[in-house]
Amino acid sequence: MGELLFEAKGVGKTYGANTVLHDIDMHIYGGEVIGLIGENGAGKSTLMKLISGVEKPSMGEMFLQGKPYSASSILDANHQGIGMVFQEQSLVGNLTIAQNIYLGREKEYATCGFVNWKKMNQDAKKALSRIDMDLDPAKRVRDIDFAARQMVEIAKVLDVVTESANGHAIILLDEPTTVLSDEEIQKLFVQVRNMKEQGNAVIFISHRLDEVLEITDRIYVFKDGEETAVMPTKGADVNLLYEKMVGRATTGEFYVESKQTVPTEEVILEVEDLSLFGAFNHVSFQLRKGEILGLCGVEGSGKEDICAVLVGDAAPTAGKIKIKGKECTFPNPCAARKKGILSVPKERRDEGMIGMMSIEDNIVISHMDALSKHSFLSAKKTRRVAEDWVKKAGVKCFSINERINQLSGGNAQKVIFARALESGCGILILNHPTRGVDVGSKEEIYSLIREMTAAGNSIILLGDTLDECIGLSSRIIVLRDGLIRGSFDCPVGDKPLQLDIVQKMM
Amino acid sequence: MKNKWEESLATLSVGQQFAQKVKDDARKDKIRRYAPLILLIIMTMIGAVSQKDFFTWGNVVNIMYQMSIPLVISVGLTYVLLLGSIDLSIEGVMGFAGSFVAFLVVNNSNSNDFGLLGIIAVVLISTLIGAVTGFIHVKARIATFIVTYAVGSIMTGVAVLVYQGTPIQVKDELFIVLSQGKLLGIPYITIIAFLIFIAGALILNYTAFGRAVYAIGDNETAAASTGINIGLTKIKVFALCGCTAGMAGILQCIRLKLGQSSIGLNQMFPVVTAIVIGGGSLAGGKGGALSAFVGVLIYTELANWLTLMGVDPYVKKVIQGVIIIVAVALTINRTRKTISK
Repeated sequence: MGELLFEAKGVGKTYGANTVLHDIDMHIYGGEVIGLIGENGAGKSTLMKLISGVEKPSMGEMFLQGKPYSASSILDANHQGIGMVFQEQSLVGNLTIAQNIYLGREKEYATCGFVNWKKMNQDAKKALSRIDMDLDPAKRVRDIDFAARQMVEIAKVLDVVTESANGHAIILLDEPTTVLSDEEIQKLFVQVRNMKEQGNAVIFISHRLDEVLEITDRIYVFKDGEETAVMPTKGADVNLLYEKMVGRATTGEFYVESKQTVPTEEVILEVEDLSLFGAFNHVSFQLRKGEILGLCGVEGSGKEDICAVLVGDAAPTAGKIKIKGKECTFPNPCAARKKGILSVPKERRDEGMIGMMSIEDNIVISHMDALSKHSFLSAKKTRRVAEDWVKKAGVKCFSINERINQLSGGNAQKVIFARALESGCGILILNHPTRGVDVGSKEEIYSLIREMTAAGNSIILLGDTLDECIGLSSRIIVLRDGLIRGSFDCPVGDKPLQLDIVQKMM
Repeated sequence: MKNKWEESLATLSVGQQFAQKVKDDARKDKIRRYAPLILLIIMTMIGAVSQKDFFTWGNVVNIMYQMSIPLVISVGLTYVLLLGSIDLSIEGVMGFAGSFVAFLVVNNSNSNDFGLLGIIAVVLISTLIGAVTGFIHVKARIATFIVTYAVGSIMTGVAVLVYQGTPIQVKDELFIVLSQGKLLGIPYITIIAFLIFIAGALILNYTAFGRAVYAIGDNETAAASTGINIGLTKIKVFALCGCTAGMAGILQCIRLKLGQSSIGLNQMFPVVTAIVIGGGSLAGGKGGALSAFVGVLIYTELANWLTLMGVDPYVKKVIQGVIIIVAVALTINRTRKTISK
């Protein structure tokens, strides 16, 4: 273990009488990767804010290399060798990579106010090569993909902190893997290990426990603003972490496997030799009534594109889609809905919810034709429908007239589920249904999914994690490079192992 | 100044604070929604106090008459602005509709006498023009700012071609009755305008189509994922805007008994402004029929009052500009993190 870089003694944060972080002791050594896990609201982010200079602690002391530490701002923390890569990407899309890396530091490159772009680009190139990224620094950030942006962000922070504290910097990564594919995550991990070898410390926050187990040396577990456990990663496993995080073990119970339906023989959707040029080829499968079909694969495996074709967002190059035996084509999502296919999109805030509209409108919007008479909506019917669903789905709200963007992520997702169920569509495509949802709401959403299938709906699932996909599905199709590589039955009590599926994926 | 939340920090948990914030936002939202109405009432009171002629039945009818054509324009424009789009073709379509209807009914330049049939035909053609505009926008993915400007230019040209350079005078009996007739002291034109407005408001508030317009204006991607037909809804909106622009052109022609392209001139921007004053947003998703009504009323009342006060026309322009800025500043949500474009 390296030198002690950072120490927190009894650090806490209160807002008035309300304590959000209580009595935290933390030691960070050079050359170490620390995992920080906990449910939403457990206090991880608050602690990160205290360390990175966004906020000040209300109690306790912090030390950096033995000296008392306090930072008045992110920039101040940077100068002292602590840098944070934010969860919400903080890059500006219409500036170049180099301009982003040196945003706020242009003065170093300016003479009489005019910036020497060439020199800046050269330095940016160096900063990028430090993490093995070969990107053109003159490219605009909006023209590169999310994964590359994440790396630019890391390069930026790394550049700032190494300037001030080479070899003993502390880098905070707040859920850096959410937008990355498995392959890209591995690339990121290589960089994390590099930073570690150079003597720096990395704090890694993630919801994905398998990643935490893979990359970290020690794990801090938070719950309700308190530290519930510190343990070396060696010897820890997912179940132990879950237990410490939520005080309950997740087994089949978590995915409500007891309610998993046995699919009937009736084929609802049949896809025959479907291809989309440049995305996937020769995909065939059948979806039965009451079945959950999981699509597994890394990013770019074609699973997202299959969904896009099925909901009418893209036209297939070849192949047939049959619903209840009848061949269908849909030029847009509206046509797909009319044939009985609707999706719960991946990015809830951007693609799923209509923020300015009420909970009621958001629930009925996919079923307005049926709730209208002579093309005028029946206010009585829509209100009753919305109230029923709010109760059934357990949406916590003051009234159905509340705007959906005033709800928390989990509650908003339940509203969108209610919409999908109300739509009357028998085939639902759930694209990462629990993305960004806390563990409590997750369980409720899993119950909702079980109820969907019990009611005779069929589901195509793109799980947020492989574990979720296996836990929920009754059958799994594995895709790699646009082709189906395997298919697994997942009956209750005889679920396939993650390892078997991953082997087909990679 | 002390932050108003600071005191409750000690007594409430973060959860309670959040609930409080949501409630507070809802309350502010409500105030903002009613701000234009309050402004309207205050203005009316000032008008009534400062000018004894202002709040008389005669002047009320006068204001209603003056707001008739802006109100008809506002019907379709409200839908368009709700989408976050703009329709710059309104003035051209108005000019065309006025000119063409003058051409079809009894007039001083040809022997046509299609009467009511002519009016219906022109409304239908205007609707079709709007639909084509919408179709081009949706299928060719050209921004509405450009498509509608181009269509407006085309229609202005077509209007002049219809009457070959010499504006047509209308001699039709129907037009003369409509322009001069009154019911209970209210001009027919005003009654027709209000009926058109009511129909537009009912469609917007009580149909699936109306909901779809709001949904698309707020978040088009999300609206698409719910299975709303985005393209068709947009085409319908532009068809509707073409329809009301055509009707506004015909009403203008009835009023002036003259068909020429310039009857649409400078008609659109005041209405856009009025809708924004009423609480609408150029970015889409916000506003509605009633707020458009309030906006048009504020705008008309202001002009009427300034005229009654005998304010110099140029000074009037200055005052109008100032009041528009103040009115919009009152109704806008400034807590948003970005400054709206």
